[in-house]
Amino acid sequence: MFEAVIEKILDHIANWGKFWFGLIFLGSIFNAIFEKSSLFNDSFNISILSFVLGGLIGLIAKFRGAWL
Amino acid sequence: MSKPAQTLPELSFEKEKAIAKSFAQRFQWEMILIGLGQATIWLSLWPLVLNNYLPLWAGFFIASLCACFAYLPSHEAQHGNYSRGNPKRKWLDSFVGHFTLITLLFPYQILRVTHMKHHAYTNDPDKDPDYYNAHSKSLFSVIKSVSDGSSTAYEKYLDVFKDDKAFVNTFIKAMPIALLYRSLLLILVVILPLETLLLWWLPAKIGTLYTTVFFSYFPHLGTSTGRYKDTRFWSHWMPRYINHSMQLHFIHHLHPNIGHYDEPKAVEALKPFLIAREVPGADQIPDRVSYNPLIKIN
Repeated sequence: MFEAVIEKILDHIANWGKFWFGLIFLGSIFNAIFEKSSLFNDSFNISILSFVLGGLIGLIAKFRGAWL
Repeated sequence: MSKPAQTLPELSFEKEKAIAKSFAQRFQWEMILIGLGQATIWLSLWPLVLNNYLPLWAGFFIASLCACFAYLPSHEAQHGNYSRGNPKRKWLDSFVGHFTLITLLFPYQILRVTHMKHHAYTNDPDKDPDYYNAHSKSLFSVIKSVSDGSSTAYEKYLDVFKDDKAFVNTFIKAMPIALLYRSLLLILVVILPLETLLLWWLPAKIGTLYTTVFFSYFPHLGTSTGRYKDTRFWSHWMPRYINHSMQLHFIHHLHPNIGHYDEPKAVEALKPFLIAREVPGADQIPDRVSYNPLIKIN
């Protein structure tokens, strides 16, 4: 039972881990950087843009099979 | 006709083992201090940075240093060099092994079982989990594979060693810790994005890169398979104190129970054996290794 659950999680991470990492990790970092940058202070959708960008990079990495 | 040097009684394997064993007795207190110390310093950076006692850039610098010191104390634990076969001290291997790796975001048991396979199958392209680190085309390839995480994608070895139940069970049991680290990182980055990036993720990458370059790439570069052939003596412009004396990594592969800080003296004592058995680079080992930075400038 325990092994089956771990296996399912591992399968999901193997398939979608890069996308989730891009969306959550890179998205949060981009958001923090854009918020600190005076260039984007007035932009209403900056958070959405940050997470879309992070998710997109993650999605590209998923289909390429590698980050670099 | 004269006998080959390695078959002479004074250079027998039994004699080599006996000498090595004499350097594998001491309690490795320095390594415990480094392992627990760096992880404690790293943990203390979080309140210091969050309460503005320390600027984030300084925290990043200290965290990166901690990450470079994080692997070796766990490595000693992986070989049971704290307990030294005493079942009552086994907890010490486990405790130091787990605690020191927090900085590097790695589960101890996964590194332990894959490292044992690295020792058993050093330089075997199919079975050595570190093969692609040690046999990268260039230093740049190592940097690239560490940066994109492929250097530590050990999951594929679950399939390679699927018939080794102990390996598979230990690996699977350690996965929740790997998942916990990943989840924690993804939760923290939402709350404290730049702190998570500069105190944990990036320092862990730098520490992994440092470890891969000096523990895997340089010691195994250009070596083949076989007990006395799979690791080499090497040296370059960098003093050995900066790269954890990995110029002497070959002695660890031959006798993993010798404590890290006892390796220079062990190399001095075993030098005739190493030369007789044609360990790569052994003829260039100086007579005095202790307190010798082993710098080589061409």
